[in-house]
Amino acid sequence: MVDTPRVAVLSGFGINCETETMAVFEMAGAKAERVHVNRLVNGEVRLNDYHIMAVPGGFSFGDHLGSGRLMGNRLRFGLREQVREFVKSGKPVIGICNGFQVLVKMGLLPGDEEVSLTQTASLALNDSGHYENRWATLEFDSNSPCIWTQGMTRMRVPVRHGEGKFVTGDRTLLDEWAKSGQLVVRYVNPNSDYPSASDNILPYPISPNQSWRNIAGVCDQTGLVFGLMPHPEANHSTWLGATWTREEIEHGEGEGMAIFRNAVNYVKNSL
Amino acid sequence: MATPPIFSYEVTTKDVEGLPDARGNSIKAMLASNYGVEVGTVRVILGYQVRAEMTNEDAQRTVFDLFADPVIEEGCVNETLLDNKMIFPIAPQIAITTGFKPGVTDNAAQAGLDGLLTIFPSISERAEVATSRSYLFWGVPEEISSEWLASKLHNRMIERAIIANSIDCKAGNWPSLDFPDRPALQQQKPAIVNLEVSDEKLIEISQNGLLALNLGEMQAIQAHYRNKKVRIARGTRGLVPNAPTDVELECLAQTWSEHCSHKIFAAKIHHVDTETGEDCSIDSLFKTHIMTPTLDIQSKVDWLLSIFHDNSGVIAWNDDWSLCMKAETHNSPSALDPFGGAMTGIVGVNRDILGTGLGARPIANTDVFCFGPPNYSGPIPEGLFHPSRVFRGVHAGVRAGGNESGIPTINGAIIFDERYLGKPLVYCGTVGLMPRRLPDGRESHIKTPTPGDIVYMVGGRVGSDGIHGATFSSLELTEESPSSAVQIGDPITQKKMIDMVLEARDLGLIQVITDNGAGGLSSSVGEMAELTGGADLDLSVVPLKQAGLSAWEILVSESQERMTIGVSAADCEAFEKLADLHEVEATAVGIFTDSGSFIVRFGEQTVADLPISFLYDGCPQLQLESEWAPPVHEPILFPQANADEMGEILCKLMARPNVASKEWWVRSYDHEVIAQSVIKPFCGVNHDAPGDAAVIAPIQGQTQGAVISNGIAPRYSDIDTYAMAAASIDEALRNAVCVGVDLDLIAGLDNFCWPDSVESAKTPDGRYKLAQLVRANRALDEVCRAYNLPCISGKDSMKNDAILDGKKISVPPTLLFSLIGNHSDVRKAVSSDFKNVGDHIYLLGETHQELGASELAFMFRDDSGGQSGIGGAVPEIDTARNLSMYRSLTAAMGAGLVASAHDCSDGGLATTVAECCFGCDSGSIIDISSITSDCSRIDAWGALFGESLGRILVSVKTIDCAAFEAAMKGHACYALGRVEADDQITFNNGDDAVLSASMADLRLAWKGTLDGGAN
Repeated sequence: MVDTPRVAVLSGFGINCETETMAVFEMAGAKAERVHVNRLVNGEVRLNDYHIMAVPGGFSFGDHLGSGRLMGNRLRFGLREQVREFVKSGKPVIGICNGFQVLVKMGLLPGDEEVSLTQTASLALNDSGHYENRWATLEFDSNSPCIWTQGMTRMRVPVRHGEGKFVTGDRTLLDEWAKSGQLVVRYVNPNSDYPSASDNILPYPISPNQSWRNIAGVCDQTGLVFGLMPHPEANHSTWLGATWTREEIEHGEGEGMAIFRNAVNYVKNSL
Repeated sequence: MATPPIFSYEVTTKDVEGLPDARGNSIKAMLASNYGVEVGTVRVILGYQVRAEMTNEDAQRTVFDLFADPVIEEGCVNETLLDNKMIFPIAPQIAITTGFKPGVTDNAAQAGLDGLLTIFPSISERAEVATSRSYLFWGVPEEISSEWLASKLHNRMIERAIIANSIDCKAGNWPSLDFPDRPALQQQKPAIVNLEVSDEKLIEISQNGLLALNLGEMQAIQAHYRNKKVRIARGTRGLVPNAPTDVELECLAQTWSEHCSHKIFAAKIHHVDTETGEDCSIDSLFKTHIMTPTLDIQSKVDWLLSIFHDNSGVIAWNDDWSLCMKAETHNSPSALDPFGGAMTGIVGVNRDILGTGLGARPIANTDVFCFGPPNYSGPIPEGLFHPSRVFRGVHAGVRAGGNESGIPTINGAIIFDERYLGKPLVYCGTVGLMPRRLPDGRESHIKTPTPGDIVYMVGGRVGSDGIHGATFSSLELTEESPSSAVQIGDPITQKKMIDMVLEARDLGLIQVITDNGAGGLSSSVGEMAELTGGADLDLSVVPLKQAGLSAWEILVSESQERMTIGVSAADCEAFEKLADLHEVEATAVGIFTDSGSFIVRFGEQTVADLPISFLYDGCPQLQLESEWAPPVHEPILFPQANADEMGEILCKLMARPNVASKEWWVRSYDHEVIAQSVIKPFCGVNHDAPGDAAVIAPIQGQTQGAVISNGIAPRYSDIDTYAMAAASIDEALRNAVCVGVDLDLIAGLDNFCWPDSVESAKTPDGRYKLAQLVRANRALDEVCRAYNLPCISGKDSMKNDAILDGKKISVPPTLLFSLIGNHSDVRKAVSSDFKNVGDHIYLLGETHQELGASELAFMFRDDSGGQSGIGGAVPEIDTARNLSMYRSLTAAMGAGLVASAHDCSDGGLATTVAECCFGCDSGSIIDISSITSDCSRIDAWGALFGESLGRILVSVKTIDCAAFEAAMKGHACYALGRVEADDQITFNNGDDAVLSASMADLRLAWKGTLDGGAN
């Protein structure tokens, strides 16, 4: 039993959502620490001393040479064994936006049983060709093993990216991942009834990037490693919603918090 | 030693179903949107030239380990993708390859190099990377030449292009660029400048050296070197006693530049008003009208922590945190290279925040741009870009600068006028947050330097880019304007530095900090030397981008992404270790002293010795003449129009670029990073109605907020700059009131962009333009005092003229007034969108027949080819009446009585109602008879389209109406009508229909104008 899970929130080189990512884990009852990637590389701190690893959003290395590519390489080449050990020991990992891009480019997502760090999917430029900040509605796969999304149905969150179109080199993989519940979160029409997640690409801007099968985020086979393009940490309080001034609400925790509570509770109960 | 080999990588998007070449599609859409040119297909190949000691196997490995994505991209090294028939079965019609000129910042190349070193750490010596882009075209219309296409795809000032036309393409002669090698520089020994010459010669020295010093200033420098004491002191230091070195002269020119020392605002002005007969002398507009009112307010409040002397003004937000804000302009560089100029603008003002006190964290950006009209069809003078290209470039620069730095862009405006064709105005503002006290107990807004502290230069290196930016911006723009004044920012180098500096601050490692902006090290070290009484700087240890820079160039270069930081000798080791961890370069370049002099050395040799007192107080005060005579304008010719025709007029007004939706552009700014955004740029059921002020809650989980707004109204300058300034301030405040600002904690920033207002042969109307400045300052003084709204920081850019093809284009006098205020509880913030059908609509504030220089007047002028004038009454301000109403409204909001509130400004009541309806997908029925009967001399034009100040449109639930009306008792408060379910918006005057329009039509018009299509 872990009383207060320790979260390593990676920072440095253009990661820029570490403040709010730390804040949401703290709100969820964990102890979050800002950990510069180089502190892990130089051995000053060890990844395995933490219970959760979060790779926040941002523009690591300016997203040049493809978003997340260079940070992914820093982790893949500089922290390969630390990361593999962390994942294999059953600890949760989340990548948000640029962090998701990092996890996909380094091959941790959708990943494989051996944690071989082989890239099988990618995040291409949005069909619009440019960066956008707008709110989207997400729907979760209730049959997914993902520990981060248990019990969640829908969530409203901002998307803020230019390269978020989830694609893969081999389309048959999509069927495999669907079957194993790895296509855990997808864009949906907010005016549709739950559940309505669909493989047919929804019109822009309901799908802001024209991702294949409307995929917004995926997890690995174990459900412990999870990444998504939208920003649940940006909806930590009701007053951050896109249309909260139009709604009769009791102010308090925002829709995005459930994800972080799930992981913190998982660590408390299972590690 | 032989140079390492060059490996040439090429990358393009894989041709897979469902995976478009989005880069190519963006170019296609841009050509259609900007120029109306339709091409068939565009593909893009990214190129990387790598010069490094690698084996061929290493190079092959990095194709998909680094440069290309193995899943979605094709890639190769030392081959040509265009020769691969599997990838490009049909040769393109035109192929154009572009790349940077030598020495221009290439961020993607820097990232590529960094990535290469991650894989091969041992090749760091002499490894270099350069990038290029190849654009491939199919289906190009016959009349479009490859040269024309190339001109739209690169900026000759900073980029190169190689073209393969249809013949080349058929023959497979693909374009390729050489590696952008910089020719080696020959370092010049410091020169001695003889000032014992005639006055004409003095002027010549200033002009030829781009020093931007006038005769009086040159004479003051001449006098300094005639001073006996000075000569003796110089002799003892081994300097030529009776003449400045080029290093000294350059340092003085930077420090005394209009850009750095605000000479016009400090001038003694003889002001004459031909209308009233007033004849007076003003000793510094800044001291009289900006500083004194703020100091008077400071004596009455306890929250003005730091004003005027630091990089930004600081206010106490609560017991634990303070906020600071600064706005800057980056006009001249943005005219020459819109992307780079605007990007350096935004990352530059971010550094002002980082350099405030002992270091503040930038948490929000605001951007206000003024451009020529996007649909401008007149001739474009040589050396200038079409406004739509400037717009696109500036937008992309600010987007990259803000987004990549992780600082949300939360508020802004875009203004269009033909006179911004010569010089666009690019205002960049940043809000900062800092703890009131650091862990070591020091108050963070107070710098604590001591003689003996070590001077560190931190961040980027010094290059030949950005030499003479400060003096260049103090001159008008000409065809000969130097390209060295243009730079491209590097947000990631800066982001690493920001992370490192804030950590150093919290560890107590920083004693004093400022940014390297205009004037480079000469300004940053010089300014801080003023605090301790001296500094001793060694230029020979300053890290350079390129060897061979001369001493004066190193001293004044404005290369970006650098802070200058004073560190106690005992902390240097920890400071350097922290810099290493963050991969930030930090170099000890000198020491702060109390010698009274700013000493600059190059190794053993002293190259400058400038007494601090002379450097900062030696510049003689300008004496200027000002004369006001009110301009004469033709009256507005109003057409006869029935209700439907009035609807069409509204439709056209909504489509005017100044009123039209900017959503397409604003959406590509990240406005929500940091997870603090309470009132966003857009609101409403479809997230597309325009908001007023931004509200942020910067401490996650807490409900105290900050409000940020802007006001800008340059149209009124054509009639009276007093009205212009008053309208700008009132607009900023109204916007803040609309979201529920705490009126007892508001502060402002004044940002003047003026045309040259010093009378001369080039500026024969200088007296009038200076009188315009005097009047604007008087408005600033009076309105800010009345609103208890102290100016905590400001800036002026006083030479916004362009002389091109012998013709002078001057910007209209423009004041951007930015406001930062407190919000007591963000859960009570109000947004502008109507909420529910059936809600009651009220107009607060008096409407008068004030249509002079209104958006409507300009529309009629433009549509009538100048037949209709813009003359008439401009909005007058009644600060007491406005403030009293704002206070009552704020109280009503606190009591939860207000469903929506929207500022009534450009385009008047009619556009405001329409915007509120957009947010509710509704229509409305409005009766203006209460407005017209309440004020004398007002007609339907005035009621619908007049832009009287102090007005806010609100909606209220039926159940709250009685309480709301009671709360607003004693103020002008007109019940106008209700929110309706259908698509129609109708304005009646009693029983007469005055204006009727379909909301669908209005939405289409409003959204269509500035739909950017591509980027």
